[in-house]
Amino acid sequence: MTTLSGAEPINFDGYWQDTLAELAALPPAPEVQEIPLRSTDFATAYGVSLTSVGPYRLYAYLSIPRGEGPFPARYYLPRYGSVVDLVPQGTANSQRREHVTFAICVRGQRLADQPYAAAFPGLLTDGIDDPADYVYRGIVADCVRGAEYLANRPEVDSARIAAIGNDLAYTTAALCARVTHLVCTPALLYDTVNLARRTSAYPLEEINDHLRLHPEREEAVRHTMSYFDLRRFAPHVNATTLLMAGADGSALDAAALSPLIQAMPGDVEVHKAEHSGYKDGRFSEEWLSRSFGMAEPSLPAHWRG
Amino acid sequence: MPRVPADQYVSNVRMPEDIDRFWEETLAETAKIPLEPKVVHDPLRSTERIDVYEVFFTSLDRVRIAGWYATPRDRQGKLPGLLQVPGYNMEPPVPKAWANKGYAAFSVAPRGKLRSNRQFNPGYPGLLTYSMVDRNTYSYRGFYMDACRGVEFLLSRDEVDDDRIGVTGHSQGGGLTVSTAALRPEIKAAAAGAPYLCGYMDAIELTDAYPYQEIADYLRMNPDSRADVENTLAYFDGINLAHRITCPIIVSVGLQDSTCPPETGFAMFDAIASADKRMYAYDGHGHDANNHEHGAIVDDFLAKHLKP
Repeated sequence: MTTLSGAEPINFDGYWQDTLAELAALPPAPEVQEIPLRSTDFATAYGVSLTSVGPYRLYAYLSIPRGEGPFPARYYLPRYGSVVDLVPQGTANSQRREHVTFAICVRGQRLADQPYAAAFPGLLTDGIDDPADYVYRGIVADCVRGAEYLANRPEVDSARIAAIGNDLAYTTAALCARVTHLVCTPALLYDTVNLARRTSAYPLEEINDHLRLHPEREEAVRHTMSYFDLRRFAPHVNATTLLMAGADGSALDAAALSPLIQAMPGDVEVHKAEHSGYKDGRFSEEWLSRSFGMAEPSLPAHWRG
Repeated sequence: MPRVPADQYVSNVRMPEDIDRFWEETLAETAKIPLEPKVVHDPLRSTERIDVYEVFFTSLDRVRIAGWYATPRDRQGKLPGLLQVPGYNMEPPVPKAWANKGYAAFSVAPRGKLRSNRQFNPGYPGLLTYSMVDRNTYSYRGFYMDACRGVEFLLSRDEVDDDRIGVTGHSQGGGLTVSTAALRPEIKAAAAGAPYLCGYMDAIELTDAYPYQEIADYLRMNPDSRADVENTLAYFDGINLAHRITCPIIVSVGLQDSTCPPETGFAMFDAIASADKRMYAYDGHGHDANNHEHGAIVDDFLAKHLKP
């Protein structure tokens, strides 16, 4: 079992309260523009610009079903990389028939890369020696800004708003109470420095690269990452949750994640990965459709039957 | 209506009569441009065992292309070269893992990818449909050449054995593995996972998922362009390039792949000319194509042919 160790944050709650206060002081100033190329006979697509802390201008894809709402909403938090899709690659585009979908490009990603264009590799360690400078402080706030915007859309059913993704889905659910459901696959922000030591694969290898070149900075890095560890966010997650754990024996399997699971006050179902994008993806879609009270899950053709 | 089993699907892709000439002319046009490689050691990404370099070279249209090059420090004699080609919406990885296995590994960032997007940046979504009505300016004409130039980069390196060069990738990387093996005879072994860019027009009937959905979006807005789109894409379709592949090759597909439908992977595989070819079709798997277990098969296959 993984336990919280290493450098402790001086004031975890204060750090995030200050960040959220900074965010609240900035009007989101949304600009919404239809994207005819991505609109269909069953859904209209929009590009949305929003302001987050910094101030920094973000971009997001919004899709709204045609017809009478309100609709359940899927908020897709970005994976680690420069590209954000309207809906995740490989999922059914037909999900847009019955769901509002929202996918945010956080600072540094394409369409939100002016003035800051993130490097990959590089984003994970940008400013990591100081929690005040760490780029993820802004990124976490960006994701909260998106959640607030989505929850305020009149087409959205406020009882059915799901955050879907990796660590940023989790932090968003913790910091924005309007997220009602959470589908999360922890990846990077869980005991990060120790997790990195167990792999040479990117993006965690970025941490190893940084500490190989600057070993004297390890305590500072551990201190910064303590503000971003999902275990510290866990007591604030009240959303109904599907936690996608790694397969048994992997670094983030259900046993490794048990401190996270135990610290969460809401309903949590844990799914152990089956090393199959199809099986894990189908399980996730079926869980979400059940949780949303939908008649059928939104499955692509090859996942049906 | 139940779907036809993936291995029995009949592709609707048409073979252009002049496809070989088109690519020979494109390769010749590219060859006239000096490679102008720049190789810069990167101490941040290097380790005790692996040297990592940032690489830049010039490709078709004089677009400057980036890549990551990794070599093992402890070596005796020349190394096999391995070209790693990236997925559609992923960043090209730093190929330390391949270097750790004894390869001089080059991970290319074709035009439009980060660090190769100063002169050409159609974005994502966008790359797949950029100038899709004109084979002479379609995005993948240069994109395919950038991958081929990655082979030239490996050939330019003194530490690389010219007779032991392979290529591998997954998804778009699988598609680029097919196109590169088809267009560069120096490739001695190829391992393609869940290949994209095969059966483009078939795929938009088989799946509603992105990235192929980009083509459906485009045709919804531009229905009158359908014939031009079909004509262009036929020159870039892995199904139509596979007859040029003569090296040993393995291909994997997931039978529940909603991103790159397995039907298109089978159609491409059937068209491969090489007698030394093998298909690994994984039931119960989607776009991962059972990477968890198939990775060891790729390792063994490349080691057998490239001898790291």
